[in-house]
Amino acid sequence: MIEVRGLTKTFGPVAAVTDLTFDVGPGTVTGFLGPNGAGKTTTMRMMLGLVAPGSGSVTIDGRPYRELRDPTSVVGAVLDSSGFHPAHTARDHLRLYARMGRYGSDRVARVAEVTGVSAFAHRRTRGLSTGMRQRLNLATALLGDPRVLLLDEPSNGLDPEGIAWLRRFLRDLAAQGRTILVSSHVLGEIEQTADQVVVIREGRLVTAGPLSELYGSASVLVRSPQADRLRTMLAAPTEILSSEVLRVHDLSAAEIASVAAAHGIPLQELTSERPTLEQAFLHLTGGTTP
Amino acid sequence: MTTLISAEWIRLTSSRIWLWGGVAALASGAFIGLLALAGPENFDPPLPPLDTAEGTRVLLGLLGFLACLPALFGTAAVASEYRHGTVTTTSLFAPRRWTWLTAKLLAYTGAGLVYGFLAAAVAAAALFAAAAIDGVTLGLPVGVVLSLLARVALTMAVYTLLGVAIGALLRNQVAAMAVVGGYLYAVETALTMIPGVKALYPLLPGGATAALTGFTYLADAVAGQTGEPAVPLLSAPAGGAVLVGYALVAVAIAVLAPLRRDIT
Ligand SMILES: Nc1ncnc2c1ncn2[C@@H]1O[C@H](COP(=O)(O)OP(=O)(O)O)[C@@H](O)[C@H]1O
Ligand SMILES: [Mg+2]
Repeated sequence: MIEVRGLTKTFGPVAAVTDLTFDVGPGTVTGFLGPNGAGKTTTMRMMLGLVAPGSGSVTIDGRPYRELRDPTSVVGAVLDSSGFHPAHTARDHLRLYARMGRYGSDRVARVAEVTGVSAFAHRRTRGLSTGMRQRLNLATALLGDPRVLLLDEPSNGLDPEGIAWLRRFLRDLAAQGRTILVSSHVLGEIEQTADQVVVIREGRLVTAGPLSELYGSASVLVRSPQADRLRTMLAAPTEILSSEVLRVHDLSAAEIASVAAAHGIPLQELTSERPTLEQAFLHLTGGTTP
Repeated sequence: MTTLISAEWIRLTSSRIWLWGGVAALASGAFIGLLALAGPENFDPPLPPLDTAEGTRVLLGLLGFLACLPALFGTAAVASEYRHGTVTTTSLFAPRRWTWLTAKLLAYTGAGLVYGFLAAAVAAAALFAAAAIDGVTLGLPVGVVLSLLARVALTMAVYTLLGVAIGALLRNQVAAMAVVGGYLYAVETALTMIPGVKALYPLLPGGATAALTGFTYLADAVAGQTGEPAVPLLSAPAGGAVLVGYALVAVAIAVLAPLRRDIT
């Protein structure tokens, strides 16, 4: 369980994060969403003790990251700024951090295998592609077999194949019951993996909850030669779009159809309208619908 | 802490920096041998010859002057952690930053000691060989030469510690190396030209180094140019203590300063 409480950070005149409060429940995959510059990276760095909050706190299983015993066995993190010594091989990198975390060479072999790093373990990191670097980052984060994973825009710079691989990989990790917080500036990226979302904008919380709640309320488009008569039969808020077309809220298409049938009203069209997640997200974060 | 130190050792030995360090150490020692072979009396300006105590001391002192090299290696090694962005991962694995910084300082001081003794051993071999080739005996007894060389090796270890501390403080690899190299090779020499500051020379890093390595030639030369008497240097142990003091202050700042600094 990650508890973020009243987190605030300013960089000079820039309010990067303001009074941010949310929870990340155990065993969930939570999407951390917001447009570029919303404060996702800053928030995640504060969670990991890399950036000192101006005020507020973050605890992981009740303790700040810094006070966790063997922190990398509790939380693994994949951050965009983490680099590698160019002269080290991928395996050197893993070996070095395995030693820092006191993990055995069996862990090095294991994480290299599950992330596919073993295919280029003996290459120097200066020659690795973005995809390989991201795998190495993931492998490093997994050294301690942590039950919590924080990933900051992990698919940035990956090609479609890499993104597909990463998605599958995260789904597998989630299926093992790990808690995952993954940030993104596009909803589509985490739509298939996340069950919870935290949406921020300009450093403030917009909404937090199940992904399904991001959807706006559904409506149904109805076309009928007797639109006006149908409208009086439906006990629901209705917009009149033309003499024959209505938009009905709070009722399902099936409910409308049965009312129409009961009163012998012919229907020519019955279309469920549901804003796409992306539209809902853009609406929430102040972007415009494309 | 031992885990962190051994991790630093892996970091050090898996990049090629250790190789270059070894090469530099060997080259420093060999350089002294080369000078000895050429004969200090043939330099311009001429230095006392090898078979005088003064001449042998000058050559050993020149080796001490090369102590900045391991300092630069230490600086580069720590600053590279920031340059390559591994500091993020390192801080995740050891979130109490003073722990890994301290581990680095200890590991590199050890490496500096190895470097120093390597350079000193090569220099010793080269000196004795040069003397034998020239058919002269060194101007100092063997025991004195060896103890002076050991002091040079210690100086190199302390300098590495200094270099690491400054690298951790400045974080920018190029800037840190410029500061370390620039100060040791240029600024301090310039400082000693100023009459008032000259009195402080024994307490400056260079003066303390001279006391520790027993290399007073530079101070004497400055004194000769300005026509004033040379400022007496500290005793070797006192010089060593001053040098370690500098290193410890740098270390303390290096360890304490990053604690609240954001890693972004
Ligand atoms: N080290 C820093 N110094 C100054 N401003 C910063 C720094 N890091 C982030 N910011 C600012 O804080 C805001 C939030 O940035 P960030 O957390 O990186 O957002 P996101 O990851 O959501 O794109 C931005 O306006 C950014 O310019
Ligand atoms: Mg970001």
